[in-house]
Amino acid sequence: MSEVTLAQALNGALDTALEADERVILLGEDIGRTGGVFRITDGLQEKHGEHRVFDTPVAESGIVGAAFGMAIAGLRPVAEIQFLGFSYPAYDQIINHVARIRNRSNHRFTAPLVIRVPFGGGIGAAEHHSESTEAIYAHIPGLKVVVPSTPSDARGLLLAAIEDPDPVLFLEPIRLYRAVKEEVAELYYTTDIGPVRVEREGGDITLISWGAMIKETRAAASLLEEAGTSVEVLDLRTLSPLDHDGIVASAKKTGRVVVVHEAPRTGGLGAEIAAVIQEQALYSLLAPVRRVTGLDTVFPLKRSEAHYLPSVDRIVKAAEETLEG
Amino acid sequence: MFSLIGPDGTVRDRLPITLEEMRGLYADMVEARTYDHKCMAMQRQGRLATYAPFEGQEAAQIGAAAALRPDDWVAGTYRDAALMWRAGYPWRLLIAGRTGDERGGQPPEGVNVLPPSITVGGHMIHAVGLAWAESLKGTDRVALTSFGDGATSEGDFHEAMNFAAVFNTPTVFLCQNNGFAISLPRAEQTLSESIASKADGYGMAGAQVDGNDVAAVLCVVRDALETARSGGGPTLIEAVTYRVGPHTTSDDPTRYRDEDETAGWRERDPLERVRLLLDRAGGWTQEWQTELEEVASRRIEEAVAEAEALPQPTVEEMIRRMYEEPTGPLRAQLDEAGQ
Amino acid sequence: MAHEFRLPDIGEGLTEAEILRWLVAEGDRVEADQPVVEVETDKAVVEIPSPYAGTVLHHGGAEGETIAVGSVLVVIGDESETATRTAPPPAGSVTPEPSAPPVASAAPIVGTLSEEAEVLSARADENDAAGQDTIRALPIVRKLARDLGIDLTTVRGSGPDGRITREDVMTAARPAGQPTSPPPPAAAAVEVPAPSGSVTLPVPPPVAGVGQDERRPMTRLRRTIATNMAKSWAEIPHVTTFDDVVATRLLEIRSALGARYETKIPVEALVIKAVIPALQAFPEFNATLDGDDLVLHGSYHVGIAVDAPEGLMVAVIRDADARGVLDLAAEVRRLGEGAKARSLGPDELTGQTFTVSNIGAVGGGHGTPIVPYGTTGILSVGRAQEKVVVIDGELEIAPVMPLSLSYDHRVIDGAHGRRFMALVMENLEEPALFLAG
Repeated sequence: MSEVTLAQALNGALDTALEADERVILLGEDIGRTGGVFRITDGLQEKHGEHRVFDTPVAESGIVGAAFGMAIAGLRPVAEIQFLGFSYPAYDQIINHVARIRNRSNHRFTAPLVIRVPFGGGIGAAEHHSESTEAIYAHIPGLKVVVPSTPSDARGLLLAAIEDPDPVLFLEPIRLYRAVKEEVAELYYTTDIGPVRVEREGGDITLISWGAMIKETRAAASLLEEAGTSVEVLDLRTLSPLDHDGIVASAKKTGRVVVVHEAPRTGGLGAEIAAVIQEQALYSLLAPVRRVTGLDTVFPLKRSEAHYLPSVDRIVKAAEETLEG
Repeated sequence: MFSLIGPDGTVRDRLPITLEEMRGLYADMVEARTYDHKCMAMQRQGRLATYAPFEGQEAAQIGAAAALRPDDWVAGTYRDAALMWRAGYPWRLLIAGRTGDERGGQPPEGVNVLPPSITVGGHMIHAVGLAWAESLKGTDRVALTSFGDGATSEGDFHEAMNFAAVFNTPTVFLCQNNGFAISLPRAEQTLSESIASKADGYGMAGAQVDGNDVAAVLCVVRDALETARSGGGPTLIEAVTYRVGPHTTSDDPTRYRDEDETAGWRERDPLERVRLLLDRAGGWTQEWQTELEEVASRRIEEAVAEAEALPQPTVEEMIRRMYEEPTGPLRAQLDEAGQ
Repeated sequence: MAHEFRLPDIGEGLTEAEILRWLVAEGDRVEADQPVVEVETDKAVVEIPSPYAGTVLHHGGAEGETIAVGSVLVVIGDESETATRTAPPPAGSVTPEPSAPPVASAAPIVGTLSEEAEVLSARADENDAAGQDTIRALPIVRKLARDLGIDLTTVRGSGPDGRITREDVMTAARPAGQPTSPPPPAAAAVEVPAPSGSVTLPVPPPVAGVGQDERRPMTRLRRTIATNMAKSWAEIPHVTTFDDVVATRLLEIRSALGARYETKIPVEALVIKAVIPALQAFPEFNATLDGDDLVLHGSYHVGIAVDAPEGLMVAVIRDADARGVLDLAAEVRRLGEGAKARSLGPDELTGQTFTVSNIGAVGGGHGTPIVPYGTTGILSVGRAQEKVVVIDGELEIAPVMPLSLSYDHRVIDGAHGRRFMALVMENLEEPALFLAG
């Protein structure tokens, strides 16, 4: 056991996977020689060899398409797309082929690959580098979408994703890469893809979030607890398939829900969560399901980031309104 | 442009293919054409969806497929039924696919032929990945991908070619240049001198062959496969041929091309030149021709009957096709559907 | 066996085609897949091959004729047969061999566009959902109300912004309230006037046109009144007793008070004063029947009829026993104005333990008042009119005030009712009697 950051946990998980399963290969831009722009794949090419860890040309569609072919042929590729904002050339390969081949071939051919993508903002990056468009991926049938927010989940979920017989989009919250530390076991373990993680139990109100926003949500929960509210916090972890049971159980328990996400409000996954709650827990609700989200704007540059991202204050305020009913 | 058998059935040089092999190739082309005509008829009878005929391209497809090993990978398009069949994909499944049944996309175990790609240009990179994986696994399997002249304009063609060359994957790129991408003539698709010449841009080997000459195609593809198998990397092959029929059964070619041009190409028919060749060499008789046609017809009819006998797909099958195990939301939808 | 081959949709949404040229004549033999006819669609000229081998028995149309997709194109069978018409199968399908299952029309690559346009009718006007969207209640509360059979339009909300709470619904559900919880809202006591009285009631607006009906939806208030009225009528066995009281003294006192305090004293104020001692003496008249229990109230909240724009409502004077005449007079006036202005709050409109209804204000005489739901009695007071009376054996002309008392016969029997009424009448005839105490 050692205390590691999210980035280190991911590095460790990839190392473990390469070690444990010779079918695992990594490919992506700058992941080999330089260890990845966030150093997530640091040292792996050196350790496992150039025949296991590949630096590719700049070609997102090519990276995913090639990984797709490799997966059909029996390998377990883990492809990296450098930022979610650059994933769109590969969206065609993902939605038209990766997520469909099992359906197209009636289970004869499958694509057990993982696409790792740093995502999310709050790091003052240049345009396109702060995207949170997970909803357009969660909307694709045949694909799974996973977002860890803790180092231990990062390891367990990544190993689970690599083992999964179906394709997984693995979103890594950039802002948390080095901002959270945790004791993580070095052994091989997997964390089930699907179930939510109850970060904190409570009875008065439920806060649901994922990715980097867990940090703000956690802080808001503490403030509310200090003021006497009993707060339940859910880390969704898997965006597709959504854990209906976990979400609904909490909604029925507290009767009050606030969803927090970075992505723009309209069509964001907060809407899907609210729909599920009102379908299955309407008569337990004591207040409307509120969403604290990014605005329906392009993710702004650094100087306007604070206008856009949900802050602890906005979350607390929404929670208080919800508590008032 | 490499060729061995002229349109009149004469051979310029020595033919590196036995008479028996030629008769086999001819029989295959006859069966392929029978299938193509049957599908056209079925579409006109309302029994098949829109169909994309390959008439005129039999030699390019049969010749290439005949060079493959049974365990090689094939990633082709909606027009490559003959190629896919000759590589092991049953007629009945090709037909089932056209009736709108996902079971048509499920070839038997051991047949490494992907269901046809409907998107233009998106699948060549898949063949690159397949080939790359085989070389990493240490096998000597090759992946052959077939596509048309139009596909070479798609961005993914560029990415596939580049990856194949950079990673030296055992991939054979077979471009069936049939003259048209629906209505756009080849000359307006690209200003490259030839499609084969595009290989230069990637540092890859390229070859142009008479696509209506089954022997020439077989030889060129065989060479490319050998190169790939022995670690020599990928090759781009341009098989120059002609799409005698329409783009699909919904298309009317008289709107964009000259019937005279098509008539000219019918005189370069891939089957006729081989028939002439075989006849000259004493390897063809009318009885044999009739027998070939009857056997082909019977086999196609059997396949049609089998495809049409497939039971109505269920909603449960549809829901269970998305993942290995249905996810939570899908299980709920399965329950709803059951009510 | 004759096979009908129907014109399929061969062109992505084809609905019809023109027969250009028959390639096989009637009576000719045809092989399977042999072209039989040339048709023209809007895209191209197309040859259609026969799915069957046999003899062409019948052409489905003549050259130059346009036929619809799904109609018979050609009939093929044995030489000896004649073509017979059978019931049409679904469009686009081929009538199969007996052993083969029917093949549904497959969709082309780009799908099939329907060419049967749906005609959109003129948009219906937005319905006026009267009142429904102004009811504020949480889903769980609405469900509770549904489960208990409570109409939320009849429930007054005590939550923020008039939201109906769970407690509001629970209260509405009880047939009678407990002392500490407010009883259900009072119904306006609308009496049916006695046939003999010349009564001027508000005339309903005329029906539009001769022979044309006008349908007017009830307002929320009216619905509430109606619901409560129906409940009272259905559940409470009514007895009504009719009396007259000589009101000479009552009216003299009323005038005197009015002159002294320069204010008009509504007759209800004095009637309430007269009634309170009777309620105290006969507590069953100030009670609520709750299941098998008769709850005798410790407070005296007297409801009075007030005239609101939409109809008679009951407003409640709380703790009437603790108020003097002037106070009661002021309250009556205040509530009357408040009702007209629709500014009365929930505890001014609900919670009465007994009701006094002055129908004399609209010229009423005797009537059969309906006991408001949740109470056991109601006293209706009509207009005092000069009549000939016998006093001490002498004929006199005096103001006579008609009284009508209705009560719940389940808890109050006739003798009891008479005694109550006698006491009220004594007090009204000699108001000094209710000054004591």
